[in-house]
Amino acid sequence: MKIAVCIKRTPDSESRFRIASSATSIDETGLKFDIDDFAGYAVEVALQLNEKQGSSASHQDKPGETVVIAVGPDLVQETLRKAMSMGADRAVQLKTDAVPYDGIAVAKALAAELKTGGFDLVLFGKHAFDTSFGVVGTATAELMGIPCVTAASSLEISGGRGKARRELEGAAEIVDFPLPAAVTIDEGIARPRYPSLKNIMAAKKKPLEVKPAQLGQTRVTVKSMELPPDRPAGRIIGEGVAAVPELIRLLQTEAKVL
Amino acid sequence: MPNVLVFAETRANTLRKVALEVTSAARALVDSLGGGEVHALVAGTPGVASVAEKLGEYGADVVIAVEHAAFAQFDREAVSASIAARAGAQSYRAIVLGFSAQGRDVGPRVAAKLDAPIAADVTDIRASGDSVVVKHPAYANKVIVSLEVKGAPCVLSVRPSAFVATASPRTVRTEAMAPASDPSASRVVVKEVIEGGKGRIDLGEAPVIVSGGRGLKAPENFKLVEELAAAFGNAAVGATRAVTDDGWRPHSDQIGQTGRQVSPQLYVAVGISGAIQHLAGMRTSKTIVAINKDKEAPIFKVADYGIVGDVLEVVPALTNAVRAAKAGH
Amino acid sequence: MSASNGLFLVIAVIGAGFFALNVERLVTYMRLGQPDPRTDHPLVRIKNLLTIGIGQSKIFRDSVAGPMHALIFWGFMVLTAGTVEIMIQGVFSKFSFAQILPDPIYKLYAFSQDVFAVLVIAAVAFALYRRLVVHPRRLEGDNLEHTDALIILSMIGGLMVTLLLANGCSYLVDPASVGPEKPASRLVAAAIAPISAHPALGASTFFWMHALLILTFLNYLPYSKHLHVVTSLINVYLSNTSGPGTIGAMRPMDLEADVEAFGAADVQQLTWKNLLDGYSCTECGRCTAACPANITGKPLSPRKIVVNTRQRLMEEGPLASGDRMEFSHPHLVHGEGADAGATTAKDVAEHRLLDTYITDEELWACTSCRACVQECPVSIDQLDIINEMRRYLVLSESRFPEEVQPAFESLERNGSPWAFNPADRADWAQGLDIPTMAEAVEQGRRPDILFWVGCMGSFDDRAKKITVAFARILKACSIDFAILGQEEHCHGDPARRMGNEYLYQMLAKDTIGTLDRYEVKTIVTSCPHCFHQLGNEFPQLGGNYEVIHHSTFIERLLQDERVPLQSEEGKRLTVAYHDSCYLGRYNEIYDAPRETLRRALPVVNLVEPPRTKDRGLCCGAGGGRMFMEERTGKRINIERTEELLATGAETIAVACPFCMTMMSDGVKAINSDVPVLDIAEVVATQLAHE
Repeated sequence: MKIAVCIKRTPDSESRFRIASSATSIDETGLKFDIDDFAGYAVEVALQLNEKQGSSASHQDKPGETVVIAVGPDLVQETLRKAMSMGADRAVQLKTDAVPYDGIAVAKALAAELKTGGFDLVLFGKHAFDTSFGVVGTATAELMGIPCVTAASSLEISGGRGKARRELEGAAEIVDFPLPAAVTIDEGIARPRYPSLKNIMAAKKKPLEVKPAQLGQTRVTVKSMELPPDRPAGRIIGEGVAAVPELIRLLQTEAKVL
Repeated sequence: MPNVLVFAETRANTLRKVALEVTSAARALVDSLGGGEVHALVAGTPGVASVAEKLGEYGADVVIAVEHAAFAQFDREAVSASIAARAGAQSYRAIVLGFSAQGRDVGPRVAAKLDAPIAADVTDIRASGDSVVVKHPAYANKVIVSLEVKGAPCVLSVRPSAFVATASPRTVRTEAMAPASDPSASRVVVKEVIEGGKGRIDLGEAPVIVSGGRGLKAPENFKLVEELAAAFGNAAVGATRAVTDDGWRPHSDQIGQTGRQVSPQLYVAVGISGAIQHLAGMRTSKTIVAINKDKEAPIFKVADYGIVGDVLEVVPALTNAVRAAKAGH
Repeated sequence: MSASNGLFLVIAVIGAGFFALNVERLVTYMRLGQPDPRTDHPLVRIKNLLTIGIGQSKIFRDSVAGPMHALIFWGFMVLTAGTVEIMIQGVFSKFSFAQILPDPIYKLYAFSQDVFAVLVIAAVAFALYRRLVVHPRRLEGDNLEHTDALIILSMIGGLMVTLLLANGCSYLVDPASVGPEKPASRLVAAAIAPISAHPALGASTFFWMHALLILTFLNYLPYSKHLHVVTSLINVYLSNTSGPGTIGAMRPMDLEADVEAFGAADVQQLTWKNLLDGYSCTECGRCTAACPANITGKPLSPRKIVVNTRQRLMEEGPLASGDRMEFSHPHLVHGEGADAGATTAKDVAEHRLLDTYITDEELWACTSCRACVQECPVSIDQLDIINEMRRYLVLSESRFPEEVQPAFESLERNGSPWAFNPADRADWAQGLDIPTMAEAVEQGRRPDILFWVGCMGSFDDRAKKITVAFARILKACSIDFAILGQEEHCHGDPARRMGNEYLYQMLAKDTIGTLDRYEVKTIVTSCPHCFHQLGNEFPQLGGNYEVIHHSTFIERLLQDERVPLQSEEGKRLTVAYHDSCYLGRYNEIYDAPRETLRRALPVVNLVEPPRTKDRGLCCGAGGGRMFMEERTGKRINIERTEELLATGAETIAVACPFCMTMMSDGVKAINSDVPVLDIAEVVATQLAHE
């Protein structure tokens, strides 16, 4: 199957963040970046699908190929190489100075690139760690005119059709859909493989194309960023059974989780 | 005076809590712009229109009912098409919906169809000139971002529970609308809906997790943890490596470095000392409660609220108190 | 020269020739391995040869089998001289060493032959008894059969018996030919006299039997585990396990090399030395008997690793070296189902050492404690094979226990194997007034010592107490030191131990960069793994520092009386000190921690568990096992904790944060309340109040 995976370069989720002096972005000094977590699952899903299917069983008889695409500045090339070291065959960078918050603009750039690619499947992460919008995947599919299934926690492809399980709130849906289609990937479906040194070396030689990103207008922009109020230092609120009423009170009024 | 369109989601022809919240949010937005109407679009099988009249209590002026037998299952394509069609036919300042499973499917589709800007996981909305300024928590709730959304209509997907469903009663007009696309032509078809399996909520999904460790002394005592989880209603049960290694709980319940990493709204650590391996699995939880008899236990350094005491006594008392608190709602 | 001499010569030449062919074949197979220069430091190597090889120093670690084997070995060496004489006599009947040695020397030589013949018979009889009646545990298991050993022991016995019988018959023919310097032979003569009708025939027969046995024995060697007779001394000479070079340092690896695969999955990717190790293994099982994984029921057996290496070499060797004759008759190495069922060349080519013989479960069970290497009497390095195969699993196939992946990812992202925020690294130092190197340099100072804290000591709540205790001692002694604070990150040792050389080199090189930027010369650390890595392995990548473990450092301070201690009397405390593998077997530091305890605690009763010092049982956390699940058998830390508590100790003392975790968990699991303390904590509690 010919599968495209759209990935994003995001900072490590364990980091502690500071706001840059411009107050419109985070301070990137010392931060480690990598493939966004959900996008990483999507890459793994694509690789596994192509490993299972091999070069046959594509619904249009194309040889198996996994292409990774990212929007952003040259820094994303490292992220694309990482995806290739997992096993993706080639990469495309849609170059722009900064990735906009405007998911529709990003979707336009991706749709323009993907439209002519003849892909059986386009995969995205369910949402990106930084914005957690979850917009780009669904919007790109809509612009391409292909069906989209979001937050798939399992995915099977056979005979030109796909079957996916989606987690809803307290329930799950099984959906059926024709290819070509877009799917956004939830966690639990696959664990991204750890690239072997051999693959890391091989990835350096795989093709990486750079093209300008056709974003169009960006209508969602950052006005400002701030840190949420500090998590107050934890405290021991009491001893034994006697402390229970106070705990309930705090959970209701302070933490607002009850 | 600008109007605002709301997608009020339903499941099995029942309004979901978030539908009431988005209606209130839309009402507040419209009022801040000097008045105007809130139009709420609902989709469901015949009969959903009368259910949706309740939205009038929360500020909806018009209910647009898209009724079709095929809407027994959620049809994301037909629903999105219908919303876009309505927004194409009438002028709206904004389209507001919930950032839920349905909303995540509908919002971006509608935005793409209308070539409208979209902001998601929104916790605050303020109109400002011809823009809307929204707040949303980014980087896993570690940074609050204020975004300017230019253009009308804009699509705003709102975080569930961020807005309060507020009463603003008025009489509601109902309009019928046929689905803007033929449901039988929808390509993504729901084959089956599986209700939450046997009351066991997945650790990754659960808003509340109650976890037990060695401090429970014996495997039989784990039922105290299960009872507390049941009292919360929407809680999953987790365990430390120590007790899963000893076979008290299955390995899939293990929270920690080599098990599951979780980030619920509330994490209750019962009889857990807080070894580095375990903390790696739960320290990003929004609120952490710890109950342990050793006041030097490391868990108390990460817990927001700690109770020093014998878990075998404190947990049953807490269970009763949680049940009482929940019953009060 | 008579006809029988001629016949003897022909047979001897054929026998020797066949042996030589086999030697050539085995050498050819061995050279399929990678290069590994071993010509350095000949004096150190000769010392090892004399002590371990000739002196049998490691053999004697077993107080029963030790003397038994030493006797057979020394006997063998002495009797070799006689063998030479006999073989010459086979061709030149009149020859005797008496013709070339001065008389007293000859008599001594003759006496030695006789005496050792008897001693060897006694030792062999005991060996047979031990193997057949006593059934020591380490001679069982690993699919081994006793056939090979029994054949060898019988042949040795036969050699001695035929020798004595030949001599006895010679005496009966001509008493002058067997002098009083051969008392045993004379006794035999007396014993057989009544039944010996044709002593001349007897002498000749037993002589031929002896010679034929020698040739048979010689040619049986390449097909037997007794090949060690030929290879063991050579192996001891060429080995690095007792020096030269840094003991316990993993082999350097060039990741830029243009190779098919990194690490070793098959015998051609091991070095010729690993393959020679395979030839030298006697299957004595001392390594496996000392292995903490094996003791607690894991599938790992160091003996099996080495035996498998030889088995696979025998399977692949003929094919890879184009030895068609050997291949067309694939033989089994001493009969215990050596081949993995290969009957065709295709099978052999599809097989490899990894998976077909050695499973990844075995490889991951290793704690790298080095007990196996410590025990091996012929200086085999079992750990080297395990490490190279782990490198292959990770670097070439990305195959490792899934719970290890978060540790690798966290090392890469956060500079620590646990997902902790790097910004929290120096939190333990809050309020203690400890400068960072950055701060010190800014103030124009260059502290004498860098205190390397390590990830455990920075993030683990229990280990942080050790860090604070040691910092307090340093301050109390007014030591001029600094920490790296947030600039410290893992040096990569866990990654290296788990086979991820790529990640290791990335972390290590970055660490060396930081250390060199601050011109660090001396480092003190409270973690033996950090100690070993920074001091012993960093030089491979260009980092050269003097690194001291805190137990050594504190002991020196105590010795110099620089530590202000309370002078009050304490009550007598019984303490069991648990030896850390990376301090002990890796760096031979056994006394400093014990001395520290003795000097710091006024009245201490140090008790030793049965497995102590260089026989100490590992806590189970080394070799990256700290980051893996233990799913099979008994938990190693429980095994060790039970042993320590059985000493009756009131306190367990450790000198390593990993040991601290494992022993503390062990004590809790057994529901004991014996405290586990680091030696720094013990000393800190004795500090005079400031």
